[in-house]
Amino acid sequence: MLWEEAPLSQSSPLVRIAVVQPRPGSALPDLGTVGSLDRLGREATLEVLYDAASCSDLAAREPIDLVILEERIGEDDTHQVLAALRAAGPPVIVVTTGIDEELALDVFRRGAADCIAATSDYAEVLPVVALEQIRRWRAARERGDTERRIRWLEHLHEAIVNEIPAALVVLDGQGNVVTVNPEFSRIWGVSAGEVNDRPLESVLPSDLLESGGVGEVLSRAAEGRSVAPRIARVIDGERGMRAFDVRAKRLDEGRLLLVLSDLTEVELLAKQVDDLQRYNENIIQNMNSALLVVNLEGRITYANPTAELILDTRPGGLRDSPVWDWFPNTPREEVLISRTLTENTRFRGAETVITRASGGIVPIGISCAPMSDRDGTRLGAVAIFQDLTEIKQLHRQVLQTEKMASIGQLAAGVAHEINNPMGFIHANLCQMSEYLDDLDKVWDSMEALRKAVRELERPTMEEGGFAPGDASITARSGEIPRAMAALDGVIEKVDADFLISDFGKAVRESLEGSERIRHIVQDLRAFSHQDTAERVASDLNQCLDSTANIVWTMMKHSVSLTKQYEELPPVFCFPMQLKQVFMNLIVNAYQAIEAGAGAEGGRGEICLRTERRGDLVAVVVKDNGTGIAPDALDRIFDPFFTTKDVGIGTGLGLSTSFNIVRRHGGTIRVESLEGQGTTFEVLLPVEVPDPETETAA
Amino acid sequence: MSGSGSPPVVLLVDDETRILSALRRTLRREGYEILTAESVAEALRILGSRPVNLVLTDQKMPGMSGLEFLEQVAARHPAVARLVITGWPEEIPAAQIERLGIRALIPKPWDDDQVRSALRDHT
Repeated sequence: MLWEEAPLSQSSPLVRIAVVQPRPGSALPDLGTVGSLDRLGREATLEVLYDAASCSDLAAREPIDLVILEERIGEDDTHQVLAALRAAGPPVIVVTTGIDEELALDVFRRGAADCIAATSDYAEVLPVVALEQIRRWRAARERGDTERRIRWLEHLHEAIVNEIPAALVVLDGQGNVVTVNPEFSRIWGVSAGEVNDRPLESVLPSDLLESGGVGEVLSRAAEGRSVAPRIARVIDGERGMRAFDVRAKRLDEGRLLLVLSDLTEVELLAKQVDDLQRYNENIIQNMNSALLVVNLEGRITYANPTAELILDTRPGGLRDSPVWDWFPNTPREEVLISRTLTENTRFRGAETVITRASGGIVPIGISCAPMSDRDGTRLGAVAIFQDLTEIKQLHRQVLQTEKMASIGQLAAGVAHEINNPMGFIHANLCQMSEYLDDLDKVWDSMEALRKAVRELERPTMEEGGFAPGDASITARSGEIPRAMAALDGVIEKVDADFLISDFGKAVRESLEGSERIRHIVQDLRAFSHQDTAERVASDLNQCLDSTANIVWTMMKHSVSLTKQYEELPPVFCFPMQLKQVFMNLIVNAYQAIEAGAGAEGGRGEICLRTERRGDLVAVVVKDNGTGIAPDALDRIFDPFFTTKDVGIGTGLGLSTSFNIVRRHGGTIRVESLEGQGTTFEVLLPVEVPDPETETAA
Repeated sequence: MSGSGSPPVVLLVDDETRILSALRRTLRREGYEILTAESVAEALRILGSRPVNLVLTDQKMPGMSGLEFLEQVAARHPAVARLVITGWPEEIPAAQIERLGIRALIPKPWDDDQVRSALRDHT
């Protein structure tokens, strides 16, 4: 038993002697102390010291068997050494140069073991005296060691019996209780005095003795057979199910030691651990997100059923496969989980695509975190991802809904704009039809006149001339002035001069009206189809302008619109989505003016500006409307936040715009002063952002 | 029509001049003296400066709507017959029609004969 030895001092077979004498350089002659001790041979080792301090240090550091102290080193040092070693140190033999009774008496009083004079037989006497002192010192020390050892064992025994979290009971040969420890008393509520000499059956609950197997363990132990520990379970009325580890050991004189360790707490903890494990397992197995655990080599060590479902593998099919195999279109070092492994970076809600076992590509939102144990040793990484297919679809629906809502706001204005030209074109056509009826009458009269003129000419052509005074000619020539008068009458009656000039005007006005309708329809058409799947290089000035035109039809003339377009590089984007953002901002600007400057009869102004700023393109929409209250300013990009009346705003406009701009890797900023107006600024990168930074925001 | 003497005076109000000129064509042969105004302000100025028998006004106009205009006409010139021409006649509440004494609602685009007969009935 290792720890039984630990506190006891070592007895070295070598003899260690410390000699304290004057320094070699001093004028004092050598007494021959070291020389005489050399006779003790190899068994003795000598430490020669020159002052009290180093002697005390040595004795405190190492076991020394004897100190030979030459009194010549001085009274102070002599006293110091004696004082230091008096209590528990090795014996000290003081050597004096001559016989000095008084000095001898003084050093004995100070605790010296012996005092000898360095006289003629010094060299012979010293080794004998030294050995005798060492023998006595060692004997005393061993006696002390044994006593300490017994005290230590008693103490240890007492500590174990009192502190061990197990109930101990000693039984005599008849099965009566000799003694119990405090834990036994605590568990069964009896003191050692109460149970003394009573049979165990009257002390322990009967079901523990019988069904718990305590009796069986005891009887086997009594026969001296080895018994494997048993677990006894009993129902305790107050505390429910209790469990004990039961062991027994035969002691001397037919006595038995019974050890009952209460496992109830341990079992409870084990159950809690088990429950917790089940709980976690339940969550991980049933959660709607996929979970992957990869080791430092990038191999998958755990995948939950959702991960298997998304990746379309059989149960356990993901285990041990390198995680980058599932991202075949991404260079291995750029796979997010690889980056978590190599760079220790975390990702949250990053968007990427993963490839199913069957080869299909699934858009996912993924979060990765490094995984380490309690000591911080890295174990790998854990990744959680969701299938975004449905979310992407919903997102498209929200976009479309928002677009429809915006169009709904526009519809009334646009319908009004179309209805006016339709109204006058229709009226003009009706009128022109009436004009034609009137002009037909003029035509008829003209036809009559032409006929009269031809009648007059006919005989001349047939007969080769005509005679003046011919009665028929006279009669026929009279028709011309009549027809002429009739024509004049009709022309005057229908106001033909007016008709001719107004007909042209009506045609021109109607053409202008139809042109207006054509423009409106053309602009509207821009909003009726969806974007392509890929980004296309687009002219943002053109996007902004066509959007401004369609909104303009709604705004009519109460607002002035200024445009300052700078030449811009093509931007790779989804143009329909950006048009939706621009429309939203312009419609908001217009509504802010209607509620502010417009309502108070002031002149509303919207200024559209585009400019290049380094790698960015800026689109600015500025109005002098009501402005946004500071408390609302923080929330304008929140979904469903609106300050507009019910039915006017969906509360999705700016949040949708914000998302669209973010998806383009851009930012949208707002500055507003209540009562002064608002400026929205959309900043978009010219280059296509790589998908990482796009989702990192 | 108000018998002999001076012809009835009709005031057409619409912010769209092409509508005014088309209505003028529609009413060309009806024997009215036709006045036009492109804004409510102008129309009120005309009403304040000379006698008018009938106003036919658009509803949706910038600044002030047709109904708001008729509110003023009803208060200041109650004898003037009040008609509305609008693309959304169903949006005009019946209570307003009654309160403002609106004689007829003419839909836009209009039928020439309908306009003519409505005006004949109320001049």
